[in-house]
Amino acid sequence: MKLSHKTFRLGAIILACCLAGSLLSARFSFAAENTSHVDFTGYWSLDYLQSDDIEGKISTLLREERRRAERLAQSGSSSRRVDSGGAMVIGNGRGGPTVIDLAQMADMVASSQLLEIEQSPTNIKFKREDNFRLSCDFDVSSAVDKVNPLGTEVCGWSGHQMLFTILLPEGLTIRHRLTLGPRGTRLNVATTVISDRVYYPFTVNRVYNRYEPQGDGGISCEVTLSKGKVCTTESR
Amino acid sequence: MRKYWLLSLVLALTACGTSHKKIEIVEEVDLRPKVGIVALQVQQNTPEHERLDVNLAVFDLGVSDDAELQAGRGVFPKIRAAEARYFPVLLAKEMIDTNSWGVVRVIPEVEHSAELLVTGKIIRSDGLRLELYIKAEDASGRVWLDQIYIDETEIAEYSVLAEEEPYIDLYRKIANDLLAARRSLTEAQLNNVAYVAFLRYAASLSPDAFGRHLSQSSDGTFVIERMPAKNDPMIARVNKVRNLEYQFIDTIDEQYISLYKELTPTYKLWRKFSREMLVFQEDYQQRMVDRENDSRRGTFFSMQQTYSAYKWSKIQEQDLEEMAQGFNNEAAPTVMEVRGEVRKLDGTLDSQYTEWRQILRDIFAQETGLPMATESDLDTSR
Repeated sequence: MKLSHKTFRLGAIILACCLAGSLLSARFSFAAENTSHVDFTGYWSLDYLQSDDIEGKISTLLREERRRAERLAQSGSSSRRVDSGGAMVIGNGRGGPTVIDLAQMADMVASSQLLEIEQSPTNIKFKREDNFRLSCDFDVSSAVDKVNPLGTEVCGWSGHQMLFTILLPEGLTIRHRLTLGPRGTRLNVATTVISDRVYYPFTVNRVYNRYEPQGDGGISCEVTLSKGKVCTTESR
Repeated sequence: MRKYWLLSLVLALTACGTSHKKIEIVEEVDLRPKVGIVALQVQQNTPEHERLDVNLAVFDLGVSDDAELQAGRGVFPKIRAAEARYFPVLLAKEMIDTNSWGVVRVIPEVEHSAELLVTGKIIRSDGLRLELYIKAEDASGRVWLDQIYIDETEIAEYSVLAEEEPYIDLYRKIANDLLAARRSLTEAQLNNVAYVAFLRYAASLSPDAFGRHLSQSSDGTFVIERMPAKNDPMIARVNKVRNLEYQFIDTIDEQYISLYKELTPTYKLWRKFSREMLVFQEDYQQRMVDRENDSRRGTFFSMQQTYSAYKWSKIQEQDLEEMAQGFNNEAAPTVMEVRGEVRKLDGTLDSQYTEWRQILRDIFAQETGLPMATESDLDTSR
């Protein structure tokens, strides 16, 4: 029993690491593509109606998994027990973490209602309300962009999409995939949470609409160290 | 409890067919002495001849060019750049509090004609430990200090209400050591230091006029060969230029102090975070060891903790980086008046300093008719 548990864990770790590896290598393969036509720059506001309903998504996932497990049991191709329902199968099968944990995480990580994105030919800054800023330098040859003692960020283009991947301790990986709508007025941020303790990743899609922030009577202010608060009439 | 060991965790991502993650744990033992708890020695009555002027040059960052390696070690170059300016101001404050010195100034670059020059290099700086290499040398070339100082902190030293710097003991120790070194010198030796400082400065202005007043012995120390006559008008000119240089240094010294005050609240927060982050790393390593029995891993609660720690670290890092960026680049222009003419100096403080020194040398050459010191002369004086 212990051996099978170890084997499972080893498999999960390898899967997570290889996923990370594929993301690393993806950067190189996509870096050369011309992505100048995709510009995420702007202010974005969360559209609740267009975004994923997480509870519904979990229910669907559990239903599908239960059906799959039942089919496997009927065909005799699986030795796993299914009497505890889909959550057991989606998790580690021993009452440990499940996809619901991942869903909760995804919901928390992707909770920003407002976004601000600044993009130049060489860099993108993805500012999220109540969260830290993600950024990516397009012209850096190194695959690993930012190494913090508590985690590593990897980023790059995947065709017309922008990918940010955060590799965290304890087998936790968070991935954000930014996709701009055809008319440039909508932005989809697909946030995927991956754990080496849960078989399947969980993805939540948040849709954002472009908006223009209300200026302060056309005055924009900036705080600098030497000059204090500096305000100009220049529009943002 | 003070820890006398250091744990460092290196997360390395390497290619593995497709790729794999490798976690390497390195344990080092550091038994070098720490400064401990130090009381600052304050001198009540300091005779004038003992009050040497002290220049503290902005510290060496002590970082390599490998950004990825630095980040892996928790070193952020912009923050280091801010620390290189922050630490000398802290040391200057402690030295002033000893009531034992003349004017204590922070200067942008090493300038050897100071009566006492203190230089430093940051070896390690985070929330758990500060490690500085400090060298102090007087104008005659006598080395006062040449050693590494190490201090470690406890969480209580990061109290929100605490006004004190968590590593204050380290700065006090350096200040005390400098004072002890000065006390070991005789009045004649201290006077000699002041004379040599003057002559080295004068030689940097005009090697032709003052170059032969000093000689350098085999051990690198400077010996006075002869003194200019007390009524020599050149002395007055040198002093005039030197005072103008001091005026400028005082102006930029005020900028350093102002920037120090601006940075302090965020920087304190950063170091507190840094300490907690390092403790987290130690805890993480322990959890790695215990992972066979760790049933929490992968749960929402566990993942939330992991993500929150990272999120917090990033927000702090980004806040401080923005501050550090401003600290590096927003040196205010300095306006100086010389001979009735107003000069405005722009750029970083060290470039302003270089420009100002050049202006002073031009003025000195014009006034005396002596050849202007060349770059190599200036290098020799530094």
